[in-house]
Amino acid sequence: MSEKTRFYILLGLLIASIALLVLANSNASNVLVR
Amino acid sequence: MKLSRVNTLLLVLIIVINGYTIVVPFLPSLFYKVQTKNGTRIHQLEQKVQAAPPANAPNSLTMPTALFDGQIFDGPDARTLSHGVWHRPGTSTPDRGGNTVVAGHRFTYTNPVGTFYHLDKIKSGDPIGVVWNNKSYRYTVTEVKVVGPNETSIEAPTAIPQLTIYTCTPLWLPKDRLVVIAKPLEVQP
Repeated sequence: MSEKTRFYILLGLLIASIALLVLANSNASNVLVR
Repeated sequence: MKLSRVNTLLLVLIIVINGYTIVVPFLPSLFYKVQTKNGTRIHQLEQKVQAAPPANAPNSLTMPTALFDGQIFDGPDARTLSHGVWHRPGTSTPDRGGNTVVAGHRFTYTNPVGTFYHLDKIKSGDPIGVVWNNKSYRYTVTEVKVVGPNETSIEAPTAIPQLTIYTCTPLWLPKDRLVVIAKPLEVQP
């Protein structure tokens, strides 16, 4: 695997990781009554 | 910078971010076990509930059983929750009687130990303290219940003074609301 291919895979994983953290936080820091 | 170094940096970032996402939700439980091991922290908070507030003390809520001691904030919308405990607009205050309602996050990644994470550990008879306008109000828990997310009756005015505290349940999901209702014991100057 070339370094360039590895870069794109890792970049994708990084973006997915950040999205997961944001999603987890928005789900945990909930909405209240109403 | 060489692409191989950039890849190493990306890999480290991925490990750190995912490690944070996985580990942080368990920190409040870990801290609870450590802080309740000899009962000192609960005892400290119980003493705070009993004591008169210091001069110019901010409005605050203390729940020894839940290891919670935090400031109460007024604000028009849910963004206030990012500061701490939110005194729900339109509800009463301890000095006016009626139903004083406060809400808080169950868990956040930004402040994992400063939330109502352990509210489910509270049971009937537990003490709760509120400092409001430099006066100390002591309550005892009379009811703990789970209601649906649209159960707005928990915020309805009451003829007798009470404190209503609520957050989301179960942990991680905003499915229902965990509600703690407490009645006042007395007012300390």
